[in-house]
Amino acid sequence: MIRALLVDDEVHAREELEALLLETGRFAILGKCANAIEALDAIRGNKPDVLFLDIQMPVVNGFEFLAMIDEELMPTVVFVTAYDEYAVKAFEENALDYLLKPVERDRLAKTLQKLLKRAKTGNSPVPVSGVIPQLTRIPCLLTNRIKLVGTAEVEYVESDLTGVHVITPKGRYFTALTLKVLENRTDFIRCHKQFLVNIDHIDEILLNDNLLAQISTKSGRIIPVSRRHLKKLKDELAI
Amino acid sequence: MKLLLALLQTMSVFLVVAYIYSKSPAFKSLATISIRRRNKFYLYLFFSAISMMGTYLGLPVHDALANTRAIGPVLAGIIGGPVLGIAVGFTGGLHRYFFGGFTALSCGLSTTVEGLIGGIVHLVLTRKNKSSRIFDPTTAFLTTIFAEAVQMGIILAVSRPFEDALRLVEAIALPMIITSSAGAALFMSMIRDRRNLYESAAATFSTKALRIAERTLNILAKGFGRETACEMATIIHEETGVGAVAITDTEKVLAWVGCGSDHHEPGSLIASALTRKAIAENNVIFADGINERYSCTLSEECMLNSVLVVPLTLDNDVIGTIKLYETRDKPFLNMNKSLGEGIAAVLSNQLLLYGYEQQKSLLTMAELKLIQAQVNPHFLFNSLNTIISIIRQDADRARELLIHLSNFFRKNLKRSGNLSTLEEELDHVSSYLKIEKARFEDRLTIEMDIDPSLLGLKLPTFTLQPLMENAIKHGISNMLEPGRARIHVWRDKDFAYIEIEDNAGIYNENNGKDGLGIRIVDKRIKFLMGNSFGTSVSCIPNEMTRVTVKVPAGGAPAS
Repeated sequence: MIRALLVDDEVHAREELEALLLETGRFAILGKCANAIEALDAIRGNKPDVLFLDIQMPVVNGFEFLAMIDEELMPTVVFVTAYDEYAVKAFEENALDYLLKPVERDRLAKTLQKLLKRAKTGNSPVPVSGVIPQLTRIPCLLTNRIKLVGTAEVEYVESDLTGVHVITPKGRYFTALTLKVLENRTDFIRCHKQFLVNIDHIDEILLNDNLLAQISTKSGRIIPVSRRHLKKLKDELAI
Repeated sequence: MKLLLALLQTMSVFLVVAYIYSKSPAFKSLATISIRRRNKFYLYLFFSAISMMGTYLGLPVHDALANTRAIGPVLAGIIGGPVLGIAVGFTGGLHRYFFGGFTALSCGLSTTVEGLIGGIVHLVLTRKNKSSRIFDPTTAFLTTIFAEAVQMGIILAVSRPFEDALRLVEAIALPMIITSSAGAALFMSMIRDRRNLYESAAATFSTKALRIAERTLNILAKGFGRETACEMATIIHEETGVGAVAITDTEKVLAWVGCGSDHHEPGSLIASALTRKAIAENNVIFADGINERYSCTLSEECMLNSVLVVPLTLDNDVIGTIKLYETRDKPFLNMNKSLGEGIAAVLSNQLLLYGYEQQKSLLTMAELKLIQAQVNPHFLFNSLNTIISIIRQDADRARELLIHLSNFFRKNLKRSGNLSTLEEELDHVSSYLKIEKARFEDRLTIEMDIDPSLLGLKLPTFTLQPLMENAIKHGISNMLEPGRARIHVWRDKDFAYIEIEDNAGIYNENNGKDGLGIRIVDKRIKFLMGNSFGTSVSCIPNEMTRVTVKVPAGGAPAS
């Protein structure tokens, strides 16, 4: 059985696709999500083999969503969309296939063949390597809504017991993304096990006697630099 | 009496000279509307000669000369202003001075003063906006009488012995005043007649201008491009008879007809700095070929020497130029200059008119089609997908939705008329909303609050649906939380208001796609009902977007 996760903001679209997938008898539906935030949790929790992903979705679209998935959890991606203006882009994202709504049974059968073929060559799930787009906005959960924080605004990212937080001059926001995803998909640099820093916001690097260093950001916040990350940071800044 | 007759005789000589002069090409300098520096020099030579001739032909009376020298400086002053008048008067006076006699100084001096008097008359007439009277023989007549009287006064005041001066003045005053002023008047009337002849030539030019306007009238309706530019340039070249005519856009030569067309090729970049200046400054540039020359940068053999560059404008933006050229052997006629400017004005108007016509038809037909075509594929395929899914669970609901979908499309296709009632608009919108509601289910709630007395309100067709679509497609469909859309129609005094509000609070004026539907609705309402009506948008980010349509409660005028 191929373990599938469905992501589409329209309930009937999810139901229809679920019905079609179940008809083939080859899929186990791990979950149906209405948006990227739900889907991110579902991927971490269920580790699906394949993701059937709508492109036009509220707040975070399908392409942006891909940029938020941890690399080692990246499932095979099949885009399902109503209109084919995105086809070229979808294949640039290394999608396995691209289905048009309403989905035909015969067409879905071909997608199934592709999935099985890929599973046989042992490449399952296919890591979507290298070409995953850079994140330009980081979805952060506020009490009653999702705020998209532009990466340029971010001073640094901190991970603690309560989770990952994005810090901008305006505030501190919780995000569901991992430090690793953020490190890989943005220009932020790791300066400590628990910290990523945006070089553009660095004001000073204070070097102490005991080889420990601290970064002072332009808004005056202090973050630690660990010994093993100091050299890389210096290289990056060409010191 | 004998003296008077003799003076009249000399005056006749003048008139013959004047007549010959007026027939000669040199006269052109006087015929043009304004007088340029170089022409003024010719006038100086001419009138100085007249003045000196008056001295030569003078009759010796009491060791002095009775003469008609005054005509030259007075006329020069009236026509050319004080500087020319004084220059001529001084020259004539100096010439007289070397003739000697006891009035040498006084006559020399008074001749200069006479030129000045003529000049003052010129200034007064110009200042009082009566320059048409400059060439009036009466003016010349009266001025000369006065000037000669002053001369007599100067002779009496300056020449010694006084008794001799008085005797002289008694003898010559009357004959000189009569002949000089009559001569000046006749001379001036001759000049005026010739000028009138030239003015009638100007009249034929106006006819030409009208002909050009008429012939080019419909060419620009085909747009402003190489082909139309070539047609226009050919017509202008034919009608004006100038050396060459060129039309450019802001970068390239579009057409070149006449002299120089061998090396000024259509499609080549504008080479002339004058043209680029005209485009950059949106100004008429004129190089008359004398003070400023046009020199071709492309070919040394180019015969063109003078040019008039007139910008073509559309809504104050320069979109090109029209250029009229003359060759080295022909002066650039003043007439052609004003004609060229006129043509450019006519063509600019035509461009504007054409643009307006185009806009008007765009508003009525093409834009309507645009809204209809905007039934976007996302909506269509997502709707079908939704219905296909619903068939599995609820066949009756699926049937109902398909009927709404067909109703929606039928109305899109059929309602090409200009106006619909609010009721028809609401019917169209509810079909649309039924389908969107099925797509989004719990994510979309619709509220309607409609004043039933307004159901007959006439609106431009496709007013409501594009606004509703905007609220859903660009608003609610982008929300994670449940969305709410509200249609509110009410009356306030003589106005009816239609308000469409969503709780997404996403509106980006700069996003072309977002605003397009609203902008078209706004334009059509303004077009049909006037500029005080139309749409307005208010947005509180993350809270709500509200589009308000204001129309007269009486609806649109029937059309």
